[in-house]
Amino acid sequence: MSKHHLGEFEEIVMLTVAILYDEAYGIAIIDEMEDRLGRKVSIGALQTVLRRLEKKGYLDSRFGEATKVRGGKRKRYFTITAFGKKVLTDVKEQRMGLWNAVPELIWNKQ
Amino acid sequence: MSLFKTNKASPWLLNFFRWYCHPDYVEDLEGDLLETFERTKEQSGPQKANWILAINVIKLFRPGIIRSFNDYQFSHYDMFKNNLKIAVRNLIKHKSYAFINVLGLAIGMTCCLLIFLYVNHELTYDSFHSKSDRIYRVVTDIKTPTETINTGVTSAPMTAYMKTDFPEVEDFVRLDPSQFLLSDGEKSYQEDNGMFADASFFKIFTFPLVKGNAKTALVDPFSVVLTESAAKKYFGDQPPMGKVLKLEGEYDLTVTGIMQDVPQNSNFSFDVLVSLSTTLEEIFPRRAEQWGNFAYNSYVLLLPNALPSALENKLPDFMEKYYGETMDRDEMHYSLFLEPLSAVYLKSERGSPRSGNQINVMVFSIIACLILIIACFNFMNLSTARATERAKEVGIRKVIGAIRWQLTIQFLSEALLMSMLAFILALLACEIVIPSFNQLAGKQIVNSIFYNFNHLAVFGLFAIFVGLLAGFYPAYVLSNFNPVSILKGKFSSSQTGLVLRKVLVTSQFVISITLIAGTAIVYNQLGFMRDKSLGFKKNQMLVIDFHGDNAIQEKINVFKQQLSANPQILGVSASSSVPSTGNNGAFSVIENPSGDLQSSNLAMFYVDHEFFDLFELEMVAGRQFSRDMLTDSAALIVNEATVASYGYQQPEAIIGKQFSQWGVEGQVIGVVKDFHYASLQQKIEPLSIRLEPDNAMYLTFNIESTNISNTIASLEEKWKKLAPQRPFEYFFIDESFNQQYAAEVRFGDLFTYFAGLAVFIACLGLLGLISYTSTQRKKEIGIRKVLGANKLGLIKLLTQDILRLIVIAFFVALPITWFTLSKWLQSFAYQTEISPWVFIIAGLMALGVSFAAISYQAFKAALSNPIEALKNE
Repeated sequence: MSKHHLGEFEEIVMLTVAILYDEAYGIAIIDEMEDRLGRKVSIGALQTVLRRLEKKGYLDSRFGEATKVRGGKRKRYFTITAFGKKVLTDVKEQRMGLWNAVPELIWNKQ
Repeated sequence: MSLFKTNKASPWLLNFFRWYCHPDYVEDLEGDLLETFERTKEQSGPQKANWILAINVIKLFRPGIIRSFNDYQFSHYDMFKNNLKIAVRNLIKHKSYAFINVLGLAIGMTCCLLIFLYVNHELTYDSFHSKSDRIYRVVTDIKTPTETINTGVTSAPMTAYMKTDFPEVEDFVRLDPSQFLLSDGEKSYQEDNGMFADASFFKIFTFPLVKGNAKTALVDPFSVVLTESAAKKYFGDQPPMGKVLKLEGEYDLTVTGIMQDVPQNSNFSFDVLVSLSTTLEEIFPRRAEQWGNFAYNSYVLLLPNALPSALENKLPDFMEKYYGETMDRDEMHYSLFLEPLSAVYLKSERGSPRSGNQINVMVFSIIACLILIIACFNFMNLSTARATERAKEVGIRKVIGAIRWQLTIQFLSEALLMSMLAFILALLACEIVIPSFNQLAGKQIVNSIFYNFNHLAVFGLFAIFVGLLAGFYPAYVLSNFNPVSILKGKFSSSQTGLVLRKVLVTSQFVISITLIAGTAIVYNQLGFMRDKSLGFKKNQMLVIDFHGDNAIQEKINVFKQQLSANPQILGVSASSSVPSTGNNGAFSVIENPSGDLQSSNLAMFYVDHEFFDLFELEMVAGRQFSRDMLTDSAALIVNEATVASYGYQQPEAIIGKQFSQWGVEGQVIGVVKDFHYASLQQKIEPLSIRLEPDNAMYLTFNIESTNISNTIASLEEKWKKLAPQRPFEYFFIDESFNQQYAAEVRFGDLFTYFAGLAVFIACLGLLGLISYTSTQRKKEIGIRKVLGANKLGLIKLLTQDILRLIVIAFFVALPITWFTLSKWLQSFAYQTEISPWVFIIAGLMALGVSFAAISYQAFKAALSNPIEALKNE
């Protein structure tokens, strides 16, 4: 294993943040994940992971605009850092390496 | 819950969230929560939305999002440091007020601490015995046709048979405090602190033995255990074990053990412990079965979990079984009761070797509270009076953003600071004063205020409590100021809490006047008891106590003749008791008006022919004992109280009636006028007097008041020749009589000191208050002077408020003092009246003292130059 340990949920969150590009804030991330993956995402779990990833340096955050709907509170947008991109690609390569090492036979066997 | 009531997001949930959430994340997370809420509200309505909100708030309660609580406290710590700094600066800036405040609190705390030590000491007598919760004293009520007597003693067989009959009685012990003669072969000592005790003594009570075996030391007859001081007294530095002491010149006692001295806080007081088997097996063996001979303090040790009340209920049948016949025949009904060991010293009214007064303990506790109240009121008063000084500071702090409770905490911590300073001063003061306090109280209470660390911690908490108590109200008032009016300059605080301040000052003076009047009444009562006519001659009466020495009793007439052969001695008499020495009681039967023989328990004196004349007693009926009447050896003289208790209307009516007492039968020949043979705290009980000079214990001499020391010296010389085996022991009746009130005198002294301190603290407060108001009103006084006011008018102006309050206090104090002091006086059978003078003096004193306190300030203000006051206008 490499020196980055990325959990499954953490990886998905990072990918979703990447998908949303500049629009990744709490609620949007949840909506996207629920749409694409078809599973419920807990706001507590998600926000904890977001803060943790930011502390690790994989994500960056900035404040956006406040709206009346949010009682005047600003949104916090997350973006992937260069470090975060590297970690994602490393993990992806590791995964692909494993996939390629699986013999053809497993997939064809009954 | 508002979950279900409103259209909006529940503020409770949001507040909760804001509280726990990390400050950096609050904004965006709350925004997310609100956005979700709006969405859900549109889809499913506000109730569901709030429900979802609640779930989300709970879900967000996770470590990554919760704030760090250390950070939270950290800012408070800084704030506290700032508070402290400001508090210290404040104290230094206004040194005199700070001094008055701290001093008042310190004195109040010192008083409270000292009284606590005393009360705690009194309440924990005999608590050091390891089995104290299972030990009970057995006491007897004697019911005769005329009265019921509550005694603290039993007879020897009572407890012994209780152990055989009742399995819940694990063990028993009988004690007989005695005075006896002990000699070590060369010198004879009169041992006044002796006691006979059963062998089970050391098994029941916790008195450690330094030498010897606790289980066996008191088993054998003629064994004796000495305390370490007694051992030193009798044997010096020589090893005492196994040595012999002669008891009453006849019996040899062997030292079988040495024990530690009996501690101060025990109701027992003895130095020499002789085995009771000596009496019950050897010297007076019949006493072991004499149910009617009440000579012993008895204690029982119950099994764990045994209920004393259950045992008490079985005792009437027990007494009936063993002594029922005799009780019926004698018309004397005995009932036994159990008293817990912890109650013997203080609560029991049946007496004990050392006995405390529960009322005194209560009185002092109340005084402690009162003094504390005065000190706290002082503090409150001064702090609120000086509120203007701090007004600007409060205004600015509020403008900057201080919340109300932050200011309250600030002022509370200032109060705490002063209270802790006062506490340190109080500890120092206690340490210095404790030796004198011990002396004043007549007992060694503690050696140092630091005697017990648990208690020290309690004291510290107490100091904090006082600080909070005293500081709470001023903190409340000060933090309440309206910043706008302050900063605009329209704020005037002299009206702040004016009414309350007046109430506080008045209460302080009510308490002070009550205490002063109380002291006067206590002293009146003591003087009354000292000077009251006792019904017999008490001055210049010297008494030799020879403890019923047999050799002396046999030759009593020789002694009387030879010792009184001295021109300075005007008369002599031998008797079994003299007033103030206590006396025996005797089961007696006298004919009552209906001709029946009625039993009673009468106090008893054995006297000689000279007794009545020597003591100048007055006969109201019949005659005294006469040498001409040989039948007088079987004759009885009683006092007026006996006549009344038997139901006779006239004293003459009892003359000639039959009597029987301890085997002697005959007729009543005279009635003596009631005289106080015991202390004035008790009513005069029925008394019987018989002629039996060879049973005397005391020789009383009426001596001239000149050259007393010579008379005593000559008596001593003759005594040594006539009775070398007996130490020459004497006392004067008037002194001995007054010593019965030693405890009351001490009480009076302590009361006076504390009353004085209370008044002092109240005046301190007054001083602070008045100096402050006169500074406040400097301008007003200046203007008045300019307009032509004269000095007298100004003084009147400044002082009349306070003086008016004192007058009100006086009228409030009147009924309070009357009520409480009447109760105290009721504990004396013979009391003074509460004279109105007492109150007048107390009131004048209060007025005088306060006037003295405020006069300096008032004069200074009245004499001040108005220019000084007004030049800055």
